[in-house]
Amino acid sequence: MNRRDFLGGASASVLASGMLPLLAQDREKNVSPDDTFSVGVIGPGSRGQELIRQLLRIRGVRIAAVCDIYEPRFAEVDQLAGSPVPRYKDYRHMLERKDLDAIVVATPLYLHAEHVNAALNSGRAVYGEKSMGFTPEDSLSILRTVSETGKIFQVGHQYRYAPWFQDAVQRVRDLQIGKVTQIVAYWNRNADWRRPVPEPKDERLINWRLYREYSGGLLTELGSHHIDVANWVLGEQPIDVIGAGSIAVYHDGREVDDNVQVIFGYSEGRRMTFTSMTSNSLMGEQLWIYGTSGSLQLTLEDATFYYEPRPIHAVNPHSEMMQHGVTTGASFRAQGEMPYRGPGTRIATASGDDPTLVACRSFVDCVRGKKQPLADVQIGYTAAIAAAYANRSIQSGRKEIIPPVPAAG
Amino acid sequence: MPVVQTLMRLLALCLLLANGGPSDYACASEPKRAAPAAQVFLETHTAMGTIFSIYLYASTEREAHTVAQSAFDEVDRVDELLSNYRPSSELSRINREAALGPIVTDRETFAFVATSIGWSARTNGAFDITVGRLMKAWGFFRANGHVPSAAELAEAGRQVGWQKVILNSQERSVRFAADNVELDPGGIGKGYVVDRMVEMLRVEHVTSALISAGSSTIYAIGAPPGRRGWKVQIPDPEDHQRPISTVILRDTSLSTSACTEKYFVLDGHRYCHIMNPHTLKPVEDMVQTTAIHPSATASDALSASLFVLGPEASVRLLKGMPEASALLLAGHGRVEHCTSVRWSDPEGGDVCRRTATKRNRKVEP
Repeated sequence: MNRRDFLGGASASVLASGMLPLLAQDREKNVSPDDTFSVGVIGPGSRGQELIRQLLRIRGVRIAAVCDIYEPRFAEVDQLAGSPVPRYKDYRHMLERKDLDAIVVATPLYLHAEHVNAALNSGRAVYGEKSMGFTPEDSLSILRTVSETGKIFQVGHQYRYAPWFQDAVQRVRDLQIGKVTQIVAYWNRNADWRRPVPEPKDERLINWRLYREYSGGLLTELGSHHIDVANWVLGEQPIDVIGAGSIAVYHDGREVDDNVQVIFGYSEGRRMTFTSMTSNSLMGEQLWIYGTSGSLQLTLEDATFYYEPRPIHAVNPHSEMMQHGVTTGASFRAQGEMPYRGPGTRIATASGDDPTLVACRSFVDCVRGKKQPLADVQIGYTAAIAAAYANRSIQSGRKEIIPPVPAAG
Repeated sequence: MPVVQTLMRLLALCLLLANGGPSDYACASEPKRAAPAAQVFLETHTAMGTIFSIYLYASTEREAHTVAQSAFDEVDRVDELLSNYRPSSELSRINREAALGPIVTDRETFAFVATSIGWSARTNGAFDITVGRLMKAWGFFRANGHVPSAAELAEAGRQVGWQKVILNSQERSVRFAADNVELDPGGIGKGYVVDRMVEMLRVEHVTSALISAGSSTIYAIGAPPGRRGWKVQIPDPEDHQRPISTVILRDTSLSTSACTEKYFVLDGHRYCHIMNPHTLKPVEDMVQTTAIHPSATASDALSASLFVLGPEASVRLLKGMPEASALLLAGHGRVEHCTSVRWSDPEGGDVCRRTATKRNRKVEP
């Protein structure tokens, strides 16, 4: 099985198990009121709290334990949960609890592997935030731990669960826009990416995303989502990557770039370009998937198709043909190269649920039903190592070859 | 029949920033620099179909920007929670599914719905978060105003009513007792967002700021250096040159409901976007209501409630709310009656008497 078959096959097979009925009544009809699902959360920062909020929208779920080294988080979690949640400063003590059904890991990136591996080894299912691992070695260790323990692991690539992404990607795979050759992804903002810091000593604790010791910057925190979508659409992980980045605006002591541009190479000459800047928000967050007969725009809220004008038309051979006008010899024809400015065809989906909610719901359902998740460890691995090698390329200034997914076992 | 939705009047409630008043008023553009390090900065953010602004005293622009950004992030977060324009919001999910059975939700969303239903109970349904279908029947959703047919109104009547929302606090679930009920946060959502922004700014140790949600809800944190509070003008709906009243706010909020921003005109008749849930029709006999309350959520819901209740019932409601004050301008298109409850105007005197004198009209007791 080659990489392409592996990824495509994995996605297709888990689609069947990962899809849940659209309506809560159908989804939850077999969930007894007494069927509690106890979750422990390591790292309830901003993303961790969003996951808690979504988990509390699922019948039977309770936040049973929370672990952080930053004291103010505990009160924030208590407020979210509506009652005091048992708190831990050492995740190992939390994992000693016997009543936890699953662990959520939403710690800074450099700690993902340590926490995910420990949670899996404690016998629990794990929902781990993206990027799955900081270094390729980190990601590989998680891949192996999942294989060795047989425990359920779902990575936080929630776009896989967005109904409009699922519908649109399926249409692309059905060749509705022809052969896809290019994917161009933007994640632009006009903000400094800083969080307020109550005490200067907490700068690295709060703004860990800005320091290379803990973070892969824009590529891991934002780009890994888009890399995953490209892997999904193209059915494989990238082969190589070349990138560039710099600090162009925010000379505030940060170490990670405030803008990056990266080109990933896939088989058959296909490419994905990811660009992210933090000093202009015009393009926002969006992916464009370009095929030989059309284009697809994917955003946080919708999916819109655009189709190429057909350059060749069948002509009735018996009709009289006449050439009007004079050819001047100029090779420029503005009409064909002006940007298209008309509407596209927006696809309608049956549910508009928040993708993170759908992802959390699916995770709980997989653990309850002992099913494999849609966004599994391979999906997390292929996006994570691509992001890690992209950062290596930015730092080395050279094209980096991305190693293939290791053989199973 | 276009819905006339004017541009958001960014300073409809004229914050007195450019023209200084008496010396004990707040005036951000002419700050008396009691604390030399502090300057005032203005940051704005577009969300929820309006412009949120924060006037903020801080030492540096970067400090101001960082804390303002955290408040605006909070606006976007709450928008993701409560927007009825976003299919992915939690409120939209409840609207889609709660008629089929109880929907378990997070604590914050449950508390928001419960607070809204509490206001309905308190106002005997004058405030009603279930007006979603009614707003659509009258075309006040995505700006397509029209007068509904009798059949459309009857249909909307079956879908509106706060008693149709069944809450279960044990499991934090929301259920609708009828099909097609639709929660619309319009009368309370901006106030709720402002409260969350205030909470965020206080966590960031902000001690002097004025927060405005499109000027319909305002909250004052502390006071500008050397001032008693933030001076805010309430516009006169008939005279845009001069305010009808000026108040000083400090650690409290002010909300105004009026039909000057969102309405449509048909055959010369102006239809207001504020609905009376009992008649299923736009309110006809109120021009503007303003409420002051320590909670922005409360002042927002209160100003909307007073608009529907009318002066007499409003006075009865406000008797049981000693922490609130209000100014009501009633009439059909023009101000015919003025009612004030615990209204404190630094210019002194009775605001309604002054208003009546200005118009040479009758003074309501």
